[in-house]
Amino acid sequence: MTIPQSIHTGTLTTTGNVLLKVDNIALGYGEGAAEKRIVDALSFDVGLGEFISIVGPSGVGKTTLLRGLSGLLKPKVGQVVVGGHVVSGPHPDIAVVFQDYSRSLMPWMSTRENVAFPLQGRGAGKAERNKEAEAALEAVGLGGQGDKYPWEMSGGMQQRVAIARALAYNAKVLLMDEPFASVDAQTRFDLEDLVIDLREKLGVTIILVTHDVDEAIYLADKVIVIAEKPATVVDVIETGFGTHRDQVATKADPRFQDARARILTRLRHND
Amino acid sequence: MTLEMQAPTPTAVKAGRVGSKVNWGLTLQRVLALIIILALWQVAVVVGLLPSITPGVIEVFGAIGAALTMPTFWAALGQTLTAATTGWLISCVVGVTLGLLIGTIRPLDRSTSVVVEFGRAFPTIALMPVVMLMLGATMTMEVTMVVLASVWPVLVQAILGSRRLDPAIVDTVQIFRIPRALWFRRVLLPSAMPFIATGIRISASISILAAVGVEVLTQVPGLGRLITLAQEAQRWDMAFAYLFFAGLFGWGIATLLAWGEKSLLAWNRQSDD
Ligand SMILES: Nc1ncnc2c1ncn2[C@@H]1O[C@H](COP(=O)(O)OP(=O)(O)O)[C@@H](O)[C@H]1O
Ligand SMILES: [Mg+2]
Repeated sequence: MTIPQSIHTGTLTTTGNVLLKVDNIALGYGEGAAEKRIVDALSFDVGLGEFISIVGPSGVGKTTLLRGLSGLLKPKVGQVVVGGHVVSGPHPDIAVVFQDYSRSLMPWMSTRENVAFPLQGRGAGKAERNKEAEAALEAVGLGGQGDKYPWEMSGGMQQRVAIARALAYNAKVLLMDEPFASVDAQTRFDLEDLVIDLREKLGVTIILVTHDVDEAIYLADKVIVIAEKPATVVDVIETGFGTHRDQVATKADPRFQDARARILTRLRHND
Repeated sequence: MTLEMQAPTPTAVKAGRVGSKVNWGLTLQRVLALIIILALWQVAVVVGLLPSITPGVIEVFGAIGAALTMPTFWAALGQTLTAATTGWLISCVVGVTLGLLIGTIRPLDRSTSVVVEFGRAFPTIALMPVVMLMLGATMTMEVTMVVLASVWPVLVQAILGSRRLDPAIVDTVQIFRIPRALWFRRVLLPSAMPFIATGIRISASISILAAVGVEVLTQVPGLGRLITLAQEAQRWDMAFAYLFFAGLFGWGIATLLAWGEKSLLAWNRQSDD
């Protein structure tokens, strides 16, 4: 498997080991008195190469939080800092895999063109774009399928394309919004293991949002539990599994069971 | 001239897909309908139901054959098609560019909506005296009239098309910081294309109508001018033959465009499924 070399490289200004810092942010829709506050007084740090899960019930504000982290939604209070720079809008160090992944792919572009499009936006030449796109497709297990159109693929494959596009963009941080919520169980396990594999091979920092407690624990080094209205951090759990996971063994691990019990209790308590 | 704007519906498109296989039964029915109409026409002429100057079917077919051998006919046809095509292409470029800008810039949309509504409902042919006064009975005048008549469907469809950009794609384009020009060409335009294509097709038919109409009413050379001259010379068979060609080309172009649309916009069909 060829990995785009450039993903490993690049210099970063980080304070200590912290790549991304969420500093006491509040997020909401609407202005002034009419504002509907969704997220409040929420802080956490993300280390370089770390895999973070943010777990919370449906409707708590996970997508809103992700929009805040990615620069799509401006915080009412506080700030998001990545690599020493305050995020004031979409940032070259941040790529997103959206919840509506199939609608985020452009049906008039081939898979290769979809993956290469962000590079075109950056002014890369056609040969370079295609090479990077092919490498990214290869990395997600879709080598040689660049000529297909998204609508010729299954949901799981479309999700791989969306991941490949984010990888090709070569950002330091990958944000994923419930990326596996709408695929069948087996595809879901495959995609989870793909993401774990990519993190290990490419050293990319990942923040994944999900409502699925098991998924959150299985994937992450650190699980951030959010709840309440407006949403804030109610618990942080270090899983301590290292970089390797196994769908059966890891989920049978006592640490997994403990974390699961703790999070479920936490979330029930906050209902 | 009022226009019915249409959005390509999945059902219409699916029917189109089935129709891509040659349907002999349907073709037979259509030919039969044509023969019945021609027969009724001939009967009406013979019985004296129509004014005595109306030529019979046989005479018109003779005139069509005769026209094909006349250099003046081919020259006139060339002039009409040139004016119609030029005007139509200008309408496409202007209509698509303006429509996409209007559709995506909220203040522009709000300030121009009345003008667009007014323009598409305006009887363009009534503007001809003014345009004549400014430009004379020239090819430029004709092209101008064609543009004034045919720009509206493209414009309106481009505005409608630009509004249907998926929010997930809007987010994607922002996150990956796609520059505005690239976004316009590779995202907005293709996304609006199924709507624009409908406008382009309607506009093509209007272009031919407008060109022939202007030629009938003025001294500008072309197919329409030949129709007027034939009428003045009491050659009703020739006049009908020229009319036949004007119709034939309008229909031919619309059919060609519909076919092109179907093969170029395959992604639109598929992703609707
Ligand atoms: N554009 C918006 N305008 C107003 N309210 C919104 C908007 N988007 C989401 N919300 C509200 O914010 C809350 C959190 O939504 P969301 O962030 O999508 O939750 P989650 O992703 O956790 O399911 C919901 O109550 C939702 O109705
Ligand atoms: Mg959500």
